[in-house]
Amino acid sequence: MVDAMSIKSGLSPGADSEPKVVVRNLWKVFGPHAQRVLAALQSGDSKQQAALEGGHVVAVRDATFSVQPGEIFVIMGLSGSGKSTLVRCISRLIEPTGGYIAVGGAEVTAMDAAQLMQLRRHSLSMVFQHFGLFPHRTVLQNAAYGLEVQGVPLAQREARAREMLELVGLAGWADSRPQRLSGGMQQRVGLARALAVDPAVLLCDEPFSALDPLIRRDMQDELLRLQQMMHKTILFITHDFLEALKLGDRIAIMKDGRLVQVGTPEEIVSNPAGDYVREFTRDAPRAKVITARSLAQARAGVEAPAVAASTRLEELLQRMAAGETQLCVREEDGTLLGVVDQAAVLRALAGAAPR
Amino acid sequence: MAAVNAGRWLALCAGAAAAVLLGIHFIGSGFGPFPVEWNIGLRQPIDGFQSWVIGNRSTHPIFLFVFGPFSAFVDWGLRAAENILLWLPWPVTVWLFAALAWQVANWRITVVTVCGLLFMGLMGLWEQSMQTLALMVIAVSLSLLVSVPLGILAARHAHLQQILRPILDLMQTMPAFVYLIPVLLFFGVARVPSVVATMIYAIPPGIRLTELGLRQVSPPVVEAARAFGATRRQLLWHVQLPLALPAIMAGVNQTIMMALSIVIIAALIGAGGLGREVLVALQRLQVGRALEAGLAVVLLAIIMDRISDALANRQSEIYVAGANTGYAAKRPAWQRARIVVPLVAAVLLLAALVLGVQSFPEAARLPLYQPVDVAVGWMRDNLYRIGNSGWGTGPLSDLITIRMLDPLRALFAHGLAWPVQVALAVCAGAALSGFPLALQAGLGLFAIGMLGMWELAMDTVSQVVVAVAISIVLAVPLGIWAARSAWVDALLRPILDTLQTIPSFVFLVPVIMLFNVGRVPGVIASVLYALPPGIRLTTLGLRQVNDEVREAARAFGSSSWQLLTKVELPLALPSILLGINQVIMMALAMVVISGLVGGAGLGLEAVIGLAKGQTGRGIEAGLAIAILAIIPDRMLHAAAHRLQPPV
Repeated sequence: MVDAMSIKSGLSPGADSEPKVVVRNLWKVFGPHAQRVLAALQSGDSKQQAALEGGHVVAVRDATFSVQPGEIFVIMGLSGSGKSTLVRCISRLIEPTGGYIAVGGAEVTAMDAAQLMQLRRHSLSMVFQHFGLFPHRTVLQNAAYGLEVQGVPLAQREARAREMLELVGLAGWADSRPQRLSGGMQQRVGLARALAVDPAVLLCDEPFSALDPLIRRDMQDELLRLQQMMHKTILFITHDFLEALKLGDRIAIMKDGRLVQVGTPEEIVSNPAGDYVREFTRDAPRAKVITARSLAQARAGVEAPAVAASTRLEELLQRMAAGETQLCVREEDGTLLGVVDQAAVLRALAGAAPR
Repeated sequence: MAAVNAGRWLALCAGAAAAVLLGIHFIGSGFGPFPVEWNIGLRQPIDGFQSWVIGNRSTHPIFLFVFGPFSAFVDWGLRAAENILLWLPWPVTVWLFAALAWQVANWRITVVTVCGLLFMGLMGLWEQSMQTLALMVIAVSLSLLVSVPLGILAARHAHLQQILRPILDLMQTMPAFVYLIPVLLFFGVARVPSVVATMIYAIPPGIRLTELGLRQVSPPVVEAARAFGATRRQLLWHVQLPLALPAIMAGVNQTIMMALSIVIIAALIGAGGLGREVLVALQRLQVGRALEAGLAVVLLAIIMDRISDALANRQSEIYVAGANTGYAAKRPAWQRARIVVPLVAAVLLLAALVLGVQSFPEAARLPLYQPVDVAVGWMRDNLYRIGNSGWGTGPLSDLITIRMLDPLRALFAHGLAWPVQVALAVCAGAALSGFPLALQAGLGLFAIGMLGMWELAMDTVSQVVVAVAISIVLAVPLGIWAARSAWVDALLRPILDTLQTIPSFVFLVPVIMLFNVGRVPGVIASVLYALPPGIRLTTLGLRQVNDEVREAARAFGSSSWQLLTKVELPLALPSILLGINQVIMMALAMVVISGLVGGAGLGLEAVIGLAKGQTGRGIEAGLAIAILAIIPDRMLHAAAHRLQPPV
């Protein structure tokens, strides 16, 4: 099994690089007078707002975030929170009502139909909740579809598709029809199809939600394994908080169309913004998520063994159990961040806010 | 809610009006028949138009540049198809059909195909069968050429679909007979109008099923293609059309069956082939000959149905089960077939040409008609009246005529005054749906009077009512039985399949054998024709009842009878009503066709109009038939819709 945390920490996005996906003030209103409703909502006129919202659904409210290259950015929300709409707005499968979207520096919201098609063919790829495989095509033809619409010659695209199928462990199934495969295998085909075009950004819309729990875990590990090899920029939608913690370099929590908190799994678990987010963090595997960095308290003149800032709570716990009472936390370059003691470890484990 | 209340109020008013009028009718001097002076005289302008058409057919631009070239094109295609089929030596034709059946279906259908074709030859009907086949090939391909693209357009443009839907509804409601007359007006009597009439009838299912197939393509799959940057055209060709193919093939199957049923009737307006054979034999009361030709039609129908059905099913099997038994797995067999089939065909062709074999040998004629005619004679002598017992088909026929048809006709034509009937129709329309339907029903009946068709229409109505009543009495219990017992279902299924494959016209043949000519054979044939959908939709409705609901009723201790009457039947009622609707539509279509064998009423009037070239007369009767079909169709759909339990 692949160790989830080690992959992610190894791939922390560089702060200096340009974001791969930028979303600013994105709105999506469904209904006959979407633009008028949007104007009313933006002006903040509450009476008009209430009047206009009848018959309209505001699926995405003023969403702003950016995704760094090589990052897995998870958008987590319950059903109806607007997360699927949000991800479809990025490739404009659903036309946003207002706001700015850029992928790889190109402004998606300003593109005409031809440019948009090129974007979908070359830069973005999508994996779907119910797989969206073409039942009348073989597994190989499915995997090659993105290249086929690009106009890549048959031999070349089939070679590439075979390569991808091998990558996801389906080398022997190329000539089967997708319906003959189990759910997990079908989604592997979906992944192969998405990766075959070598997209800059991979959009995943709850790709593992329709799978059994055990298969889901396998697929999560598979995604992390692939990510370790390919370093894609991934926007991942899920309703499962634990999945978000496991996969996400950063997580955005979505509620009623709004992003209520964006942060690393650790930030969210150790410092939830409000009761809504705290509810989710209740069952979170804190020992695997929280690191020494967030527990370090500045204290002068303490002599104690040192640990790296990225050391996870579960390891700190073992050290404490082995007899240490406190530990010095140091960044990788040696800078002293502070001290973590038994009380801090226990508080973090119990889910109390750091003092 | 407001609409429902207004409808109820209107229904009360119309009911009260009907009661008052009824009072006047019985107490006062009465109303008499529908006033003759209100006849709008549609006949004269139509006949005038017909003379104009005849006079200008060779000069007016619309004939020179629209109808003329189209006719020439269809005629050319028809001749070409006919010539090829007649030129091909019969062993080659049989071989090609057998190879087709073997490739797309299985050995059983192959055997049926070979036997069917040989039967046609043995009956001395080879040429007629090939003529009908040619007509089918041309009519079906032209229909598909129109319907599939229209279906694609309708699936992509919602507004086109909204325009098409009522037109298709109307086209499918009207009995096929009605089309023949206006087609005659524009294309004259020959083979081209039969192709056109066939197209009108066969196009709707093609459009419907193509559109349905495209709309049913699963949205995630379409979205996936879009997400990968497929253009609209790529989406259509890569994803939507391949996935809609099973539905489109089902549409092809329906197009073929519709076309075959009317190709036979089209004999009335000059189509040759098997239909003409049946028609002439029926008119001369050569029952044996009619049965031979009728059987040939049925065999042709079964062959074409099974082969096209197998094609459709194979498509859907690939998609639904994901079975690897489709093209991919069959590829070696296909490749072998690609060489073997033409090779054998070429050898056969050469051999046949050298030996001079072409049409089926006359010497091989099997005179099936002789024993049949003997049997019919025997039945007429012995079954019509069985001794002095008072039993037999004759007394049964008399019973239906004297006890059912005559009193009903008297009631509709004279017993109930026409204003009472119009008021009752308005009342029913208002109660079932609301003001629009009430208006349509009232105006419709009134229009029948104004066409001068009141009495004839009421004659037809009395026959339809009797046929429908007998059908329902038989169909609903049989449907319930089939829903409850697997073996009844298994027994009924092939019988119903066969009944539904038989073109309407052919039903008249065996019925005439037993009941002679007149109104009764029309009624009996209608019952046979209309039974299958009645039984099927009853069974379907009962089967669709949610198992959990059924279990709940059992858990509370319902008896089998209580379960049926309190739970199953009420829930199945919308489906049963749709079945009854189909029964009415089919009974009406059949009663009209029975005009050919002495059934009175509008059918006879239309036949006379057709036969004597009195287009105005025929169109008046045709319009009245169409109105008679539309009114109950709308009412029963409204009723079924209303009874649909909220989901």
